[in-house]
Amino acid sequence: MSPSPAPVAHLVSVGTCLPGEPVDNATLAKLVGVDEQWAEMFIGNVSRHFAVDLATGQVRHSLADIAATAADRALAAAGLEAVDIDCVVMGTATPDQLMPATVNLVADRLGIDNVPTYQLQSGCAGAVQALDVARTLLLAGRCSTVLVIGGDVCAKHLETDFDPGSRTPGELVNYILFGDGAGAAVLSAESFGERVEIRQVLNRLVGLGKAPGQVIDWFGLGDRHSDRIAISEDYKAIEAAVPVLATQMFWELIGDVGWTADQVDYLLPPQLSGRMSDRISDAMPAPLAQRVNVVRTVGNNGNALPFLQLAELLGRWQGGGRAVTVAVESSKWIKSGIALERA
Amino acid sequence: MSAPEPVAVVGLDCRFPGARDAGEFWNLLMEGRDGTRRVPEERWEADRYVLADPASPGEARPPGRSNTVRGGFIDDPDAFDPAFFGISPREAAAMDPQQRLLLQCSWRAIEDAAVAPEDLAGTDTGVFVGVMANEWAHLQLADYDGITARHGSGNGYFMGANRVSYHLDLKGPSLAVDTACSSSLVALHLASGALRAGDCDYALAGGTNLIMTPVLNIFYTQAGLSAPDGRCKPFSASADGIGRAEGVAVLVLRRLADALADRQPVYAVLRGTGVNQDGRSNGITAPNRWAQQQLIERVWRSAEVGADDIGFIEAHGTGTLLGDMMEAQALGHLTSGRSGGSVALGSVKSNFGHAEGAAGIAGVVKTVLALHHRTVPPSRFADDENPGLQLPDRRLSLLRSPLRLPSGTVHAAVSSFGMGGTNAHAVLSSPPRAVHRSGERVPGVFTVSARSARQLRPNLLAQADALARLPEDRLAQLCWTSNRVKSRLPHRVAVAAGDLASVVAGLREAAERTHDEEGGVRRTAPAVAFAFTGQGAQHPGMAASWYASSPVYARLFDEIDAHLAGHLGLSVRDAVLAGDPGVHRTGLAQPALFAVEYAMAGALADAGIRPAAVIGHSIGEFAAACAAGVLEAADAARLVARRGALMEALPDGGGMLAVPLPEAEVAALLTDPARVCVAAVNGPRSTVVAGGLDELALLRATLADRGVNARPLTVSHAFHSPLMRPAVDPFRHEGADVTAGAPSVPVFSTVYGRVMGGEERMDADYWARQITAPVRFADAAAELFSSGVTHIVEIGPRAVLTPMLARLRPADADPVSCLAAHPGERAPRHPLHHLLGQLWSAGADPTWDSLYPEADRVPRRLPPYVFDDSFRAWRSATAPEPPAPHLPVDAAAARPPVADLADPCPPTPDGGSPHGVSEVTHRLVCRVGGHDPSAVRDRSRLAEDLGFDSIQVMELKTRIENELPELGSLPVEELLASLETVGDLARYLGERLLVPTAPTPSAPEGPRT
Repeated sequence: MSPSPAPVAHLVSVGTCLPGEPVDNATLAKLVGVDEQWAEMFIGNVSRHFAVDLATGQVRHSLADIAATAADRALAAAGLEAVDIDCVVMGTATPDQLMPATVNLVADRLGIDNVPTYQLQSGCAGAVQALDVARTLLLAGRCSTVLVIGGDVCAKHLETDFDPGSRTPGELVNYILFGDGAGAAVLSAESFGERVEIRQVLNRLVGLGKAPGQVIDWFGLGDRHSDRIAISEDYKAIEAAVPVLATQMFWELIGDVGWTADQVDYLLPPQLSGRMSDRISDAMPAPLAQRVNVVRTVGNNGNALPFLQLAELLGRWQGGGRAVTVAVESSKWIKSGIALERA
Repeated sequence: MSAPEPVAVVGLDCRFPGARDAGEFWNLLMEGRDGTRRVPEERWEADRYVLADPASPGEARPPGRSNTVRGGFIDDPDAFDPAFFGISPREAAAMDPQQRLLLQCSWRAIEDAAVAPEDLAGTDTGVFVGVMANEWAHLQLADYDGITARHGSGNGYFMGANRVSYHLDLKGPSLAVDTACSSSLVALHLASGALRAGDCDYALAGGTNLIMTPVLNIFYTQAGLSAPDGRCKPFSASADGIGRAEGVAVLVLRRLADALADRQPVYAVLRGTGVNQDGRSNGITAPNRWAQQQLIERVWRSAEVGADDIGFIEAHGTGTLLGDMMEAQALGHLTSGRSGGSVALGSVKSNFGHAEGAAGIAGVVKTVLALHHRTVPPSRFADDENPGLQLPDRRLSLLRSPLRLPSGTVHAAVSSFGMGGTNAHAVLSSPPRAVHRSGERVPGVFTVSARSARQLRPNLLAQADALARLPEDRLAQLCWTSNRVKSRLPHRVAVAAGDLASVVAGLREAAERTHDEEGGVRRTAPAVAFAFTGQGAQHPGMAASWYASSPVYARLFDEIDAHLAGHLGLSVRDAVLAGDPGVHRTGLAQPALFAVEYAMAGALADAGIRPAAVIGHSIGEFAAACAAGVLEAADAARLVARRGALMEALPDGGGMLAVPLPEAEVAALLTDPARVCVAAVNGPRSTVVAGGLDELALLRATLADRGVNARPLTVSHAFHSPLMRPAVDPFRHEGADVTAGAPSVPVFSTVYGRVMGGEERMDADYWARQITAPVRFADAAAELFSSGVTHIVEIGPRAVLTPMLARLRPADADPVSCLAAHPGERAPRHPLHHLLGQLWSAGADPTWDSLYPEADRVPRRLPPYVFDDSFRAWRSATAPEPPAPHLPVDAAAARPPVADLADPCPPTPDGGSPHGVSEVTHRLVCRVGGHDPSAVRDRSRLAEDLGFDSIQVMELKTRIENELPELGSLPVEELLASLETVGDLARYLGERLLVPTAPTPSAPEGPRT
């Protein structure tokens, strides 16, 4: 018997789910008292989706709900059934519960059983980390078709029962900036007729000695009355570090696969806010590569963002070419990226 | 030789020890649970027939005793839903429970295939059932004195398959198969052969086994084949014989190509099957390694697979030392040269024992589910492998934990061997991958129906629970499937929604609302009238949601817009959809309303809701005329455009006033008929007056003095008043060349205030007259209400006529439901879906396909029907004297005590009066059918609802003649013709009592029972 060719990881399909109708800045202005103009000018996001109904405070969807829908859409787009999946990897910063892991509730919803599952506790780089695990398992021959999921739901952190006007701009930033969503991708050693190959995935922790740029705390019975802040960001540090890390990751990634910058047709830059992403995007190498930015309309929904970018990419991508995704997690500082090639 | 045509397993249902359905069966297997238990008390007195095996092998066994009190018994084998199948409780109680379980299992398996059993009725669908136990007959027929006609159809396992064919009206081959323990795999072989031969397009293949007597336990013990712990331990070092088990399972099969063409979900594919015989082997009951080997080799070759291709083997695996050895040797001959690792080996018998007639199908169901889930469940007792079998050398390995199957096509093999030497084998494979991408997200109507009001609730909850676990995007496909599979039974609930969570919530709410009482169910299809709204209902953006959600509405709206545009010089569609407030202008309002109503009525007709009658209010009569086939669309569009233009051209200065007084009282106040008149009569105290503004102001003041609050209407002109006269002649001229056809359905004219006569036409004169004539809506509606319609649906962009109709509805008559097709822009979304759901609930049969894009018409599995399990009938084995049949003791209330049914019935004193006849009829029907009196109503149909067959009709006739001797001998033919329902029968008998009959000798022996 001749040795079988080295396995290849194909990106077969992508599915996404944004809960409910988009919430625009005018609605946020009415409900929580943000200044519309300020939001547009300083943050740049124009709409987002929330799993919670801001008007009533009613939580309409869990992370498991929207992740299962995104995953089902990815399966449907690939023309596969749940039984075809032999591994599930999920990345999220905001699991529905600490136990059971949300990935397993999603698997249950889809009817997936008796396969390895993994959930990565992660911020904005989680989707890339999940794709990394999936690709590694595929290349090792451990499994043949992997469902990769990323998503976040910030309902836990959205107060809806306060007086509009009682909050500082710092507190209101979060309403403008963040949103909820989920995305999923099917990766397989088989191509199923699709032509996108995942050539490389990189992940690198670069936070030694650095203070976290973003913190999301969690509370239990013992410390729920503590005065720690649930969410905090160091926007200045983020603004300074992300462009540098993103550019480093870009060069490392294309160096790894032997491409030059002018061979890159699409660039999927880190998604922070509409305004910041545009700036980072403009400053990154490969000026001729088409930029795929989505955060302006979908909000920063963490682990869902790279999938939303990939979905947008697959919609645009005709013919052959190369694409590079870069994501930076500004919590304990992780840079990550994906190199994709379409035959 | 090419491989045989592949056959798809598209549906299944089963009950096995410890598992009430396929889902529970799968869990039992995956968890490696033991389904055996002690012999339930109602079977037989286990201790009476048990005796431990002798201590030394040489010692003789005492005859007539078994060595075990355990086995694999299913739960509730006595439960059945006779009313669902139109079987009388008496007949059901006499039926072998194996027949009862097969019926329910078959129904559920077909539904699991995403097919309505009703759609298979009358087709050549085949039924092949493996069965070897006939123990019910042994119990029932031992009492020779008690044998009646019913015993013939209820007993004899030959009736198992025929019973299913009969009740489901399946006309293909129908046979019970008995080759002992291989029966049900042989049945599967015959079924797939029949499909390949074209004998049928669908086939049910199943097996059944119930343990009602200890006879086989004793036999197995005496033959040294019975495991003392009642458990099969296949291929294990502890294997010490057979434990008996029960089970019933049915698979729905189709040629694979047909299933794929129909986009049906496929569990697994039968690649090849075969049957052979040991012939003259080493004793008739001894297994034969060579025959097994030859068969397996042949089937694998014909299926074009080799040992390397087989992913796992579901063995016969009885757990007798000899049987295990023979099977391991036969398989090992084929597998020992296998490349790669060992092939997985297991047997479902390790979980609950040997299900005899259902054993083969149990192995197949396990295999089918394993291929479906791509995981092979472990075998119990695998951790104590019998080393003597040398399984590793034969490249066979017992599965100690579940085996995840690799991606791609996987093959599996199943064996089942009969005690008399008939061997069967099958090769199956995983299904081919079928890609069905769902379309755009569209709303749907989820439909649930049940045979009785009582079963609606559990069925609603079963669907809600299943849907709550599914991802969001399948909504349309699931709704379409529910329409296809679950929309035929009389008790109905529909939930229209645009997302799955709303469907789940709607089903749960409906489950809370449903009551056990009868009512709200209509047996006949509804007769729906369309009521077309008049001017005033228009508003910017009206019914835009229809344009967005109904492709048919959009197409018709575009078409009629094109007709109108030529006359109007603008697009009504664009104006309406853009929310143009100009739609209030008469010249645009009339064409726009007409267009909306024309498209709405057309969309409903396309969805299968065609009007049985029409009525239109003023301008609404044009769309009504189109719906009744009177006017062509182009002609109607031209007339409407012209009518609006002529009226708009009239000078301002007119108005209308709604007066809450009867027409006569209002008319008495109108002094200047040239300036003001009655324009519409919408109800007994709802009159509209039209005319000059000054005159109306005066009238309003007069009324106010009398304490009557008249309300001016927001209109530009005094419609239906003398001020409209200048428009009449030009409009008559416009209509001169229009052909007005005869209406295809009754038209209730609001010009005439009555139904149109046979010779009357809605011609140019009619339309000219309509301009100034008052709208006699109340009169026309009154006639409509008494015309026999069951529903009136308002066609228009707002509910204007619906409240009027609700007030006009006569209180005493049969209730007519008044619904609005589009209750308004703020009403629940998906109005068309809501309306179709409401009409379907009332008995209509919409063309559901029209609601869904082609890409969403994909069948998906939904939970099958949940049967009523309150009826119970069982017969215990307490030899030697069989007792009287143990009739259903269902929740005490559901039927009268057994004693009642058996008691002779005393003649009623007033039996001769018609009321008495009704009472006697009911009582005798209950007695003959064994029905609970509360279940027998006047409208109960003897055959369909109460399960009366010709035997029971004859018994009923005799009883009636005995009890009412004055009726004389009843002519059977006349009786049969007159007795659709119990009420019919009572009326017939009552009438017969009033007519003097020639004295006929009554039954010579007098009253008897």
